[in-house]
Amino acid sequence: MIEAIAVLTQTLAFVALAPGLTGFIRWMKARLQGRRGAPVWQPYVELRKLFAKERVVSKTASWVFRAAPFVVFGTSVAVASLVPLVFVPTAYDRIGDLFAVVYLLLLGTFFLALAGLDTGSPFGGMGASREMTVVALTEPTVALSIFALALTAQSTNLGDIIRQTVAEPVRALGTGHLLAFTALFIVTLAETGRLPIDNPSTHLELTMIHEAMVLEYSGPYLALVEWAAALKLLIFFVIAANLFLPWGVAFGWSPARLILAFLLIVLKVGMLAVLVAVLETRVAKLRLFRVPELLSASFVMALLAVLSTFLLR
Amino acid sequence: MMAGSVALPLMLGGYVGGACLALVAPSSRAARYITALGAIVGSVAALAVAARVLVTAQPLVLTVPNVLAAAGGLVLSVDPLGAFFLAVVALGSLPAAIYGVSYTAAYEGRSSLQFFGLMFNVFLLGMSVVACAGNIFTFVLAWELMSLASYFLVMTEADVVETREAGLWYIAMTQFSLVTLLPMFLLLAPGAERTAFADLRVGAAHLTPQLRGIVFLLAVVGFGSKAGVVPLHVWLPRAHPAAPSHVSALMSGVMIKLGIYGVIRVAFDLMNGGPPWWGGLLLVVGSVSALLGVLYALMEHDLKRLLAYHSVENIGIIIIGLGAGAILHSYGLQTLATIGFAAALYHTLNHACFKGLLFLAAGNVVHRTHTRNMEEMGGLIKQMPQTALLFLIGSAAIAALPPLNGFASEWMVFQALLAGTSIPRPEVALGFPVAVGMLALASGLAAACFVKAFGISFLAMPRSAHAADAREAPASMRVAAWMLAGACILLGVGASVVVPALYRVLESVGGLVVDPQLAPAPGLWIEAPRALGHLSPVLIAALLASIVLVTVVTVHRVHRRPLRLSDTWGCGRIAQTPRMEYTASAFAEPLRRVFAELYRPTQDLTVSVHPDSPHFVQSITFTSEVRPWFEEVLYDPIVRAGRLIGVGVRRLQTGSVHLYLVYVVAALMAALASVWWWP
Amino acid sequence: MDGLFSQLVVLGASGMLMTALIVLWRRGVPAYITAYRWQSWLLGGLTACVAYFGRDPALYFVAAALILLKGVAIPFLLRAVERRFGAQREVRPYVNTETSLLAAGILVLFAYALARPWMAVTMLPTRAGLPLAMALLFVSLFIIVSRKKAITQLVGFLMLENAIALLAVVGTYGVPLLVEFAVFLDALMGFLVMQIFIYQIHETFDTIDVEQLTRLKH
Repeated sequence: MIEAIAVLTQTLAFVALAPGLTGFIRWMKARLQGRRGAPVWQPYVELRKLFAKERVVSKTASWVFRAAPFVVFGTSVAVASLVPLVFVPTAYDRIGDLFAVVYLLLLGTFFLALAGLDTGSPFGGMGASREMTVVALTEPTVALSIFALALTAQSTNLGDIIRQTVAEPVRALGTGHLLAFTALFIVTLAETGRLPIDNPSTHLELTMIHEAMVLEYSGPYLALVEWAAALKLLIFFVIAANLFLPWGVAFGWSPARLILAFLLIVLKVGMLAVLVAVLETRVAKLRLFRVPELLSASFVMALLAVLSTFLLR
Repeated sequence: MMAGSVALPLMLGGYVGGACLALVAPSSRAARYITALGAIVGSVAALAVAARVLVTAQPLVLTVPNVLAAAGGLVLSVDPLGAFFLAVVALGSLPAAIYGVSYTAAYEGRSSLQFFGLMFNVFLLGMSVVACAGNIFTFVLAWELMSLASYFLVMTEADVVETREAGLWYIAMTQFSLVTLLPMFLLLAPGAERTAFADLRVGAAHLTPQLRGIVFLLAVVGFGSKAGVVPLHVWLPRAHPAAPSHVSALMSGVMIKLGIYGVIRVAFDLMNGGPPWWGGLLLVVGSVSALLGVLYALMEHDLKRLLAYHSVENIGIIIIGLGAGAILHSYGLQTLATIGFAAALYHTLNHACFKGLLFLAAGNVVHRTHTRNMEEMGGLIKQMPQTALLFLIGSAAIAALPPLNGFASEWMVFQALLAGTSIPRPEVALGFPVAVGMLALASGLAAACFVKAFGISFLAMPRSAHAADAREAPASMRVAAWMLAGACILLGVGASVVVPALYRVLESVGGLVVDPQLAPAPGLWIEAPRALGHLSPVLIAALLASIVLVTVVTVHRVHRRPLRLSDTWGCGRIAQTPRMEYTASAFAEPLRRVFAELYRPTQDLTVSVHPDSPHFVQSITFTSEVRPWFEEVLYDPIVRAGRLIGVGVRRLQTGSVHLYLVYVVAALMAALASVWWWP
Repeated sequence: MDGLFSQLVVLGASGMLMTALIVLWRRGVPAYITAYRWQSWLLGGLTACVAYFGRDPALYFVAAALILLKGVAIPFLLRAVERRFGAQREVRPYVNTETSLLAAGILVLFAYALARPWMAVTMLPTRAGLPLAMALLFVSLFIIVSRKKAITQLVGFLMLENAIALLAVVGTYGVPLLVEFAVFLDALMGFLVMQIFIYQIHETFDTIDVEQLTRLKH
């Protein structure tokens, strides 16, 4: 019972912190580019504004268009409850593993792509087509990274992986680990629509992927979609931080450990955010047909990660 | 006792009765109803038989020794494995039978519905008896009945040229599979009198390893061509679109599974498994089928052909599970091997449900819009809301989205592949990550493909007059599809109940040993043993539902303004016409470019200019086609060789009666001379 | 088989393999030269590691020579070649980028299967690097075979030489300085000859696309 409340609190913390992460990355990018930038809490202001605006829906759209934001948001929150932010639940952990996480996120993307096609506009169709291409091509890398992680931990459940890595640090920190982390980082960039795969702040026709799918949304629908996107980014960062560098994650309820775990995760996610901000400032967006090349490279890296684990057995 | 001994004859009687009565039905309408009635009685009885055997784990036997006693007579022996596949057959036939009542009304006047009814029931009879067969004769008889009946069903619309070609390919491939299966059974049978499966099991233990290998290869080729593995799948994308929709649902959802049944029965039950290369072959064949099936499905605009290619993909996934289980089994890792086999069986069941659902929903669409081409559809979600929802459920299931059944079985296949890392030989163990990568890619591409299929066909605006005029399908067709949709949801959410039942089924398969810890009472979780992974589909479904509900309620409390309908943002355009929508080709184009080396699309550009001046272009025609190149490489030479042989043989047929008499006399002399030489 | 030494060896060898994958991924010549430079430095570093853990001071000199010659001198020469022909980008190789990368992955697995018997026999802690060295060998050969521009083939050849050196370091704790020099001089000769060929090809055809050599038939 107490675990259920704890997991609920953790999920709410996840949902509450997500826009802050996006705001931080935007602020960091602005500073790196010599601008002052909007404050870190700007996304919260935007969400509040969007919830107050009216919903405008296209005449050609159907119930799929109106249901999609709820599905995307629902799946992102469900995944957020499965990923350990500050502590690792024991019973709740067994509800879903990394595969459940990946496929729940796929469910959200599926509906968003359908919503893109539902409006009958070529932008939506284009966004849906490109997004599904990128998602389909990242699947093998994700599966192999999960495989690499599960090899050492002998389980695909997140809690077990964290426990195993903390228990045997020497085995964990090998080349395989590093390669799997790099591969997963590239996948993070692809799935959350960051540079160099997709530009999150563009609305030029030929450069949009995620933005093109959600172009028609307004008001609370848009708020839910944006929040879900921010949540997805935070989820991937927390997975990268807590599965590859899990030291600091709490296993019990002692308040001191929880506070320490919270501070550590903020630090880890912050470092990843700075990395992404620097990367986005340095690189240019890849042409759509160069993206599969990058994704194949990440696949080969994941394959090498799995191989390295075999090498050092 | 009584129920069991009544159900099996009732099943046979239902199908046979339905067949004969349909043939003599006075009118087409009567024929339709009688067909459905016979099929429904047979399916319900089959379900009763299957349920009884699965619950009691006692085999049911029925023998009719008088029929061709020399070959062992007709023996039906339903053990748990057979009962499982019988249940799959019945689960597919029941909705299809209900569906056929209204659907076949469109064929009145074009083809004989009496004949259709006969063939339909014979087809169902054949499939059911294949799953029940207890000796070689019964199996082969039922197999041939099934193949021939389905051929006639495919040829229902024989007035279309495509259908006749499809029928030709289909009958050729089924006869090829028979030609491979007969020697296989010959090699397995220890003697002419003892052809019961129990005897084969005993006899197989005495076969040399080379013979076992040959039997296995023949089984894979023969049953694989029925199941539709690459490269023997070429009949699938031709025959399934040509057949009536509920027949396609049966062929795709049920008939090809009997190929899987054959492989499991021969390789793992009768022969008790074998060396690792058996599983390795299955793994390779499965991965290649899965990937190629979905890649070619992506390029299709014909709705039914797209679904047919997806059947190839899903058979690939089932065979991946089988292969993983087989390799683990051959290394002695029995507990882990059962995950693979259970995954294969689970995916068989799930595929029957969601593929049947998809074909029935597609049948609704085709029935009302009179076209199979996706590029002419669109906006159907407003005209056919129930069909759209049904197709959406089917698409979500086949794309392996939680919490539906496709996700649960693919999860199990992944866990089975993960278990491969325990294999002591690293070279073999390294094949498993490659298979994981290919499976994940196939899964992602399947999701992309169904976004296209559902999105282009049902969403946005109608692209042609056909689509604009479509109405919702008749009630019986919808009811049948809802049955399957319900099954998809239940099988997904109830995975934790289904999986232990599957483990119990596997206990009866000869070569497999099930860990007693693995089959606990059904709970909330399915888990891979040795704590490889835990999953609770029902709790995930509950979680998702509650979160979405809370969100919907909260947003509607917070946000009070009404919805406003307006035009789609047109970037300055004034009118929004269907021509501006994304097309299916456009949707698949990025993936076509990425995999261009595999597809090798042909491109043909014709520019015709005005006769008076070459500077004025009248029309530009661009055609690009994706044709499976291995058909050209593998099948065209065979077809050409066959034609050459035919031409050569034709020279013997001169039409002269005297020459024919000379042939007869020469043959007689040769036969007598051969007796003389070999005493 | 854990331990810092093995981990470092696998890290270094994987890094060298990554740089070969960069040649398969990128299209521009400056990226190739940078990749080669990193690979040579990694090789030098790895040799120094083996010198430290294997307690063989002679290898320090080998490491220094490797870094000096392959990490500094050859890239300098390559830059000269690049200044003349750097505008030639590998636009359409025989095998496209995604397929090349996947083929490289398969080659790595194949190299692992091939190196397994060898790994089972040696007792050195560096044996985990053997499959990676063989993989680097195969990937370099693949680069030479699948790329059209002569300068890419040159880089592939140099990486092949690096792979052989890595194999020597990892398989037998390095070779004496004399042998290393001999092999290096061999490679240097090959490099100079190829450089002359590139100049000549360019003079004749105005491009360094090796496919054009088929025109010499007539």
